[in-house]
Amino acid sequence: MAARLWQVLTDPLVRQNPVTLQILGICSALAVTTALDTALTMAVSLTVVVVLAAGIVSAIRRFIPSTIRLIVQIIVVASLVIVIDQVLQAYFFEISKRLSVFVSLITTNCLVLGRTESFARNNPPLPSMIDALGNGLGYSLVLIVIGATRELFGAGSLMGVQILPTVDQGGWFTPLGLMLLAPSAFFLLGGLVWAIRSARPEQAEAAEHAAPAVAEAGR
Amino acid sequence: MADVLPLRLWRRFLALPLESRPKTLAVAFAVSAVCAALVTGATVILRPIQEANRAAETQLRLEALLSAIPGMEQIMAEAGGDVLSAVVVDLDAGRAADDVTPATIEAALGEAANWTALTPEQDVAMIGRRPDLAQVFLLRDAAGDIALVVLPVFGAGYNGTIRAMLALHGDMNTIAGVAVTDQSETPGLGARIEEPAWQAGFAGKRVADEAGRIRFAVASGPAAGPHEVDGITGATRTSNAITRIVRFWMGPDGYGPLIDAIRRGEF
Amino acid sequence: MTDPGAVFFQAMLVDNMPLTLFLGLCTFLALSRKPDIALGLGLAVTFVLGLTVPLNQVVYAALLAPGALAWAGFPDLDLSYLKLIAFIGVIAAVVQLIEMLLDRFFPAIHAAFGVFLPLLTVQCAILAGSLFMVERQMGLAESAVYGLGSGAGFALAVVMLAAIRARLAYADLPAGLRGLGIAFVLAGMMSLGFASFAQMAAQ
Repeated sequence: MAARLWQVLTDPLVRQNPVTLQILGICSALAVTTALDTALTMAVSLTVVVVLAAGIVSAIRRFIPSTIRLIVQIIVVASLVIVIDQVLQAYFFEISKRLSVFVSLITTNCLVLGRTESFARNNPPLPSMIDALGNGLGYSLVLIVIGATRELFGAGSLMGVQILPTVDQGGWFTPLGLMLLAPSAFFLLGGLVWAIRSARPEQAEAAEHAAPAVAEAGR
Repeated sequence: MADVLPLRLWRRFLALPLESRPKTLAVAFAVSAVCAALVTGATVILRPIQEANRAAETQLRLEALLSAIPGMEQIMAEAGGDVLSAVVVDLDAGRAADDVTPATIEAALGEAANWTALTPEQDVAMIGRRPDLAQVFLLRDAAGDIALVVLPVFGAGYNGTIRAMLALHGDMNTIAGVAVTDQSETPGLGARIEEPAWQAGFAGKRVADEAGRIRFAVASGPAAGPHEVDGITGATRTSNAITRIVRFWMGPDGYGPLIDAIRRGEF
Repeated sequence: MTDPGAVFFQAMLVDNMPLTLFLGLCTFLALSRKPDIALGLGLAVTFVLGLTVPLNQVVYAALLAPGALAWAGFPDLDLSYLKLIAFIGVIAAVVQLIEMLLDRFFPAIHAAFGVFLPLLTVQCAILAGSLFMVERQMGLAESAVYGLGSGAGFALAVVMLAAIRARLAYADLPAGLRGLGIAFVLAGMMSLGFASFAQMAAQ
């Protein structure tokens, strides 16, 4: 049982990573990763929401009629998100302003709803919460990697601490402005997916067309 | 006998299949009620803390603004004081408001009568309607003349409202400094209006020229004159928003009457 | 209200939802393999956004905004913290309604849309449209134009991506880049291209 739970927890870290394999939770993975502290806050918020939502949905799973199951899940998640948003505004005011609308968008984050719909609805609370935690951690891993890269090369700092002294501050590093813009996040994620799938070829997708086996035209 | 009937109804209700209409409605209602209670409870409990945060932050910005103004210590020393007085002013009349104090201004601004709708030509900062009351901060020197004025300004930015505090020297034309208290611009681009390095460029810039025409602008590139501030690369719309906000509030529909009154020495 | 044409094109090109604001990416990437599917998705998104943003604007202005309940005698009440639940409820109801109407009156279109419509209930782009409407304090007409423009931008982006990916089916890509990897790179390049629209709207 413990081995099974361990697998549920660690699978989503790389082998079944929600962002790079399941295509879930991508929007926020790109939008809030211009700096590492916003990326971390988003990762923690989403992990908390998905674990609590999975726990709650799993606990009441026998009482949800199937006609309204999706909207009940959404309402539960939306309420959790509102509460988390209020807590952030009360205790982490600076960061909550920078996250602005993306904390609210955790409500429709396909990762949260994907896990409640596919796993929590059919499993007891403890495995559901562990599965949610695993997926949350897998998502956080991607966010941290992208956030750290973008902040380091886009501003020369990590978590606000200047690592590479920029030219503005009298140093040598010219920040790569592209890192702070949208396209860089796409390129970095594409590169990350490529790296993971090269290291683990079983994740690569099959080719849609195979070139027919024809002998090369002779002279 | 009376006890058994509700109990029987309850048992019959529980025996219904989950997909039946009454049960579906009951579950929907129960979930909504619990969630609404949870959300409302959290909001009501946390609201005072959030408001304290906002107030503390405004105070911090004010102090940061004052400490960032070049020569601030000298101004303070000349004025012989180290405290700004907060005054609620009536914007149309250009003088202190009669019966509103800093403690009651928030309630006063809750009434729609204390806001003026702006025509599209007037609404340079795109705020729709303008409050008739504002809390400004004054610093007087030993002679009683005004040495420094801090004016709260706001307007539509690229992605939300930008709020700032503009500090003017006693001539009511030279900017002493600026502090941005609230913005939702693009991180790394428009959001750089919160950086002290950019805000330092405001010190010493003049709002209007000798003829009294407002010439202040955030340039699209390096500043090219005493009326311009360096632009932020890649943040054209945010820079333009700042230009519009300053021009509106320095103009006749903003603090214009107040500025004229101070120049005439009526304050 | 500023010029509706400007609002429309700004929402469509400058603030493009998938490529500039990172909204709706899961469906954007997952359903962009074939152009005809992408077109169906784009039309569905445009339709739903064009309906829900103005509808949510009415709900917000009449019920939730600070001081909105003055007509009911509660001028001090500020229910804006409930906007998330209210908007989701409205979106789910609108999507359900559209599905039922299409099924009853235009069954062919309903069959063509397939599973997209229910999927849109949980798409972040749809909810984000309403949230931006609140943040930018839009009026009713502006909300409608903004919703349609955002949807049109999404449709444009997803059809373009599908067209390119359909051609890439014959390309000899490295195994690790096939599918999702190259979709990200393509989206990045399209995003760079769309960034050139930013100066177009500078006032």
